[in-house]
Amino acid sequence: MHNDIPIIEIKNLTRRYGKTEAVNGLSLSIRPGRCYGLFGRNGAGKTTTIKCLLNLLRPDSGTVRVFGLDPQRNEVAVKSRLAYVPDLVAFYPWMTVRDTLEYQAAFRKHWNREIEAGLLRRFQLDENQKADRLSRGQKTQLALIGAICPEPELLVLDEPTMGLDPIVRREFIETVIGAYQSGEPQPRTVFVSTHLISEFEGLIDEFSIIEQGRELLTMEADSARDRFRKIRARFAQPPGSFELPGALNVRRNGREMEILANDNSEQLLEKLRTLHPEELRCESLSLEEIFVASDILKKATL
Amino acid sequence: MMFQIDFKSGKPVYLQLADQVRYAAASGALRPGDPLPSIRPLAEELRLNRNTVAKAYAELESQGVIETAPGKGCFLAENNSPFTKQVRQKLLITEIDEAVVTAHHMRVDRARFLALVNERLDYFERKSGATQRGD
Repeated sequence: MHNDIPIIEIKNLTRRYGKTEAVNGLSLSIRPGRCYGLFGRNGAGKTTTIKCLLNLLRPDSGTVRVFGLDPQRNEVAVKSRLAYVPDLVAFYPWMTVRDTLEYQAAFRKHWNREIEAGLLRRFQLDENQKADRLSRGQKTQLALIGAICPEPELLVLDEPTMGLDPIVRREFIETVIGAYQSGEPQPRTVFVSTHLISEFEGLIDEFSIIEQGRELLTMEADSARDRFRKIRARFAQPPGSFELPGALNVRRNGREMEILANDNSEQLLEKLRTLHPEELRCESLSLEEIFVASDILKKATL
Repeated sequence: MMFQIDFKSGKPVYLQLADQVRYAAASGALRPGDPLPSIRPLAEELRLNRNTVAKAYAELESQGVIETAPGKGCFLAENNSPFTKQVRQKLLITEIDEAVVTAHHMRVDRARFLALVNERLDYFERKSGATQRGD
């Protein structure tokens, strides 16, 4: 049963703020056990989408299912099986780290004390520290502990590493990998929205890029890197004009060319070799580069 | 053993891991019976999805390169190919063909290509000899 029902299924989701359409006909389907990235610029509709999953916002139209359930009608059933780390975390300022964790644990059926102790040690958080004295990084760490200890089936992260220093970011991601994504006995799913893509690169196995509330591109990370490649060629003389059929994009700069390949790097390389370049290199686009080029790439996948 | 992941290489990440283990086995950096890092710490260190590491290990195991001892982890297998000679040759031919095509495009002729192959074979033999002697 677990493999049949998507953990998250969004169909034609629309949500407006006044006249602004924050999400405009978005559809996504996320299978269990995946680490799914939702990429988009600021204002693309990432947070609005996530809030609809958690019933923090109601959709204007379209359907949202989490674990096959409607989060509006089955709010408790849905929320008890997931955990959420928002971009800006807030705690009751008068509570200590220990109070905060006890308070959160009180809402959960299950709370892994071993993981809790391990993470407190790892992050070097003082349990007696008041929440309002914590730094931004420490607050995020505390929120992460609160999200991981219940060992939920679904972890929803909304821009979790924004505003954190590189070391805290790194630890954050390692923690998600290590403590959360155990895959056993049930597949656990991670849904992460971010525009800081490169640091999640190794974690993401499928992603959607959204823009203006619409889905632009959805792909498996490995096949995206395999399909979209960047070829760089340098010639002894500026090359005359010639056709490169199938190239997604060609940039010329004097003796140099940069070509975007869409599953056709071999043919393009073949063609370029006949022009005897001084140097010819081909590499995959990283997920971040795919994100940046998504306008161009979108045309390729239509 | 140290792994190196390159997201821009165009090779799926799990294959990069698997190939690096195969390379380490061929060059003597890993010897039969040597333990491989366990999945979780390796995934954390490389900041990879655990499933990716698990997939690499599963592939290596299915090919007989590594063995899993329940509760103890993964080890480089004693005899690391379960395939028949024929299948092994076929697999190797695919790889050789790729190198031949590349050589053609780089205008490396037959004699130079064969010399290079010999050089590489010597290199690996020396390396694995050296590790076995403990140099």
